[in-house]
Amino acid sequence: MSATCLLNNTPDADIVAEFEPRIIGFLCNWCSYAGADKAGSSQTPYPPNVSIIKVMCTGRIDPQFVMKAFNEGADGVIVLACHPGDCHYKEGNLRAAQRHAMLIRVLEQMGIEGKRCRFDYVSAGEGEKYVQVITEMVATVKQLGKLSLID
Amino acid sequence: MKIGVYFCNCGTNIADRIDGGKVREYLEPSGRMSYFKTCPFLCSEDGKVFLEQDLKDEKPDRIVIAACSPREHEATFMRVMGQAGMNPYLMQMVNIREQIAWVTEDPEKAVKKTSVAINAALKRVELHEMLEKQELEVSPAVLVIGAGPAGLKAALTLAEAGRRVTLVEKSPVIGGLPVLFEELFPNMECGPCMLEPVMAEILHGEHAENIELLTMAELTEVAGYFGNFEVKIRQRPRYVDIHQCIGCGECFEPCPVSGTNPFNNDMDEKKAIGFTFMGALPNAPYLDPTLCTRFTEGSDCSACSAACPMGEGVIVFDDQEQIIERQVGSIILATGSTLYDCSRFDNLGYGRLPDVKTALEFERILASNGPTAGEVVTSTGEQPGSVAFIHCVGSLDDDHKPYCSGICCQYAFKYNHLLESKLTDTKILHLYKEIVSPGKEEYALHRAARDNHNATFIRYDRISDLAVTGENDGQKIRLPDGNSINADMVVLCPAVVPTADTEKLGAMLDVSLDRFGFFEELHGRMDSARSKIRGVYLSGACQAPADIQKATSQGMAASGFILSELVEGRKIELDPLFASVYPEKCAGCKVCMRVCPYRAIHFDEENSVSVVNGVLCHGCGTCVAACPMGAIKANHFTNEMILAEIEGALK
Ligand SMILES: Cc1cc2nc3c(=O)[nH]c(=O)nc-3n(C[C@H](O)[C@H](O)[C@H](O)COP(=O)(O)OP(=O)(O)OC[C@H]3O[C@@H](n4cnc5c(N)ncnc54)[C@H](O)[C@@H]3O)c2cc1C
Ligand code: FES
Repeated sequence: MSATCLLNNTPDADIVAEFEPRIIGFLCNWCSYAGADKAGSSQTPYPPNVSIIKVMCTGRIDPQFVMKAFNEGADGVIVLACHPGDCHYKEGNLRAAQRHAMLIRVLEQMGIEGKRCRFDYVSAGEGEKYVQVITEMVATVKQLGKLSLID
Repeated sequence: MKIGVYFCNCGTNIADRIDGGKVREYLEPSGRMSYFKTCPFLCSEDGKVFLEQDLKDEKPDRIVIAACSPREHEATFMRVMGQAGMNPYLMQMVNIREQIAWVTEDPEKAVKKTSVAINAALKRVELHEMLEKQELEVSPAVLVIGAGPAGLKAALTLAEAGRRVTLVEKSPVIGGLPVLFEELFPNMECGPCMLEPVMAEILHGEHAENIELLTMAELTEVAGYFGNFEVKIRQRPRYVDIHQCIGCGECFEPCPVSGTNPFNNDMDEKKAIGFTFMGALPNAPYLDPTLCTRFTEGSDCSACSAACPMGEGVIVFDDQEQIIERQVGSIILATGSTLYDCSRFDNLGYGRLPDVKTALEFERILASNGPTAGEVVTSTGEQPGSVAFIHCVGSLDDDHKPYCSGICCQYAFKYNHLLESKLTDTKILHLYKEIVSPGKEEYALHRAARDNHNATFIRYDRISDLAVTGENDGQKIRLPDGNSINADMVVLCPAVVPTADTEKLGAMLDVSLDRFGFFEELHGRMDSARSKIRGVYLSGACQAPADIQKATSQGMAASGFILSELVEGRKIELDPLFASVYPEKCAGCKVCMRVCPYRAIHFDEENSVSVVNGVLCHGCGTCVAACPMGAIKANHFTNEMILAEIEGALK
């Protein structure tokens, strides 16, 4: 992981309106990925800015994946897990939540706003919540603007 | 590398929103894909025939399928790949229906999102490896722990299917709690009579030779995993040869010592040699070495043996503890539950006032083979003029057990019915927080209790609103409204709680406990007879409070799982999505062992490296992310694959 820091990232209002952020979404196979499918079945539209990367469990998410996403040009990262107690593998989601809290501190030290990396819980039935979380995330990152990193 | 892309239109589901032609144009310049083919319905019979033939013709090294959710048809396409002679793991599916076509309004944006997703898949799939399902020999034999209704039904079902079953029971008798009950809700059937045929089948039935019953025995050690457990069972000496003894009971009379009988909740006495109760099965007494003077005083008393009509050698004074080793493929936990300790409620007087009883004690008082031969009498030997049942003791209580124990209302109404017929004039009081009696038969007893003109129902809110105190002529109960009422006998209906052994067994088998301390099921609705550990199943009240119907159904459910998952002669297939350690990278820090939820990792002391057991590993990848050395690989979800996918989604 290279030492990175943030450049000025408060673009003016015009650019904000046009800016389409690129966001990587890490979803676990069992709850949140199924939640995204549920949102699909109900055919509620939501912004297309999130590219989904499926993992078996959020416990699999190595902080380097998040760093890689930011380094490759993502403006935001979202991790969606099973609700506490519902992880298919008992407690991978709790490990993911712990790692996320640590990672946010590291990101902020590097000048990346914590809000660019969101962690939330979406169950297989929560299609509506999925739409809401994704819509909010895209709005948040649009607000924050493009992320520019220099080495 | 030749990589083919198959784009499914899904009729109009996908094609309406995503123009495959444009996606192709978008992807072509990258040069990553060798061909791009569109199909109207890839999952249809025609589609599958097309895919199979096309894979045979094109012979691609990898493929990407852009279609519906992999949760829908990934397995279908993997099967087709197998039929076409291609390793099914050399494919990556892209979900362009649920996650793009159905949720993206702007067709341009949908094309772009699809192209990005396929590009990510193209980069990922390049790195995919051929994986094979491994096969493992298994033992079809089963260990059942606990011979209550759940364990008995499980053992019998399995034995009938030809399985070898080792049935381990801690106490000297089989039948669990209900053999102690005179009658059973909801239909007032006699408990021992209901169980008798099942127990007879276990002991002498057509399939009894498949069942090895070990009473006075407990599991002490387990090694191995699903399909191949090595278990050690410790059997305490009974001092009676169960095969020679005919159960005549001639030995009891001459025995000079006696002590309290735990099977009657210490409400009466039994001899040092005796049955737990009349009619106990297996039909042989046991000798209690904490009472027999040969053991307590070193005497040479042999009065029992001398009285034995079968001669010497039936009573075996030098019987020894035995360690029995067995190999089994699966284990059923059926150890039941116990009742909440009522002495925690100082205001209820349990343990201090002789006529405040628990429901289990009251069952024995009602039982014809119990301490009072079925006569309902108080500690002074009189028939009670009034009996109060306090429901929900410790249940529905955040300071004790927040849940409803489910069975208590029903047995309280059973008692109501029994009292009504045994003591026609006795007044009955039900003090309750909630009444619960769902089920097609269960309401009848509730209804009958409501219709009993001797019965009064009073609702209370908190257990501290009640106070039971001793009076000269019985008990006085202070009610929530401040008034008091007298009761000659008070019966507490305590919360159903896990047994003391649950934690120990859980730790031994690595089966997790839920927040109440019961064995935790794999899934509350879909898989309540399975634990989260493969090969360990749950039945009856050890998983949650249960009535007999639920306990026996779960016993059979667990047997069903075993019969379908561990089939005699069939090897088990291991999903190749497990983790493995690169020994040369492992620093031996053991972080992985701490985070593994399945105890699937052990430490190879000789080489100072961690080793993952592919059978136990569920493939969650938590250890992979936790390893500070990057020394663990998750098959099909390697760091390289995921990083390539991220790159492909952004470049
Ligand atoms: C007071 C009362 C009245 C009830 N009345 C009724 C009724 O009328 N009708 C009805 O449907 N239900 C009734 N129930 C519920 C019924 O008792 C349970 O549904 C039933 O006992 C559950 O069966 P089980 O096999 O899961 O457990 P259990 O019957 O508890 O059997 C468990 C067995 O496992 C053995 N065991 C425990 N630990 C170990 C160990 N470590 N190693 C080996 N063996 C072990 C025990 O000795 C026991 O034999 C009543 C319950 C209570 C408390
Ligand atoms: S499986 Fe969903 S977070 Fe673990």
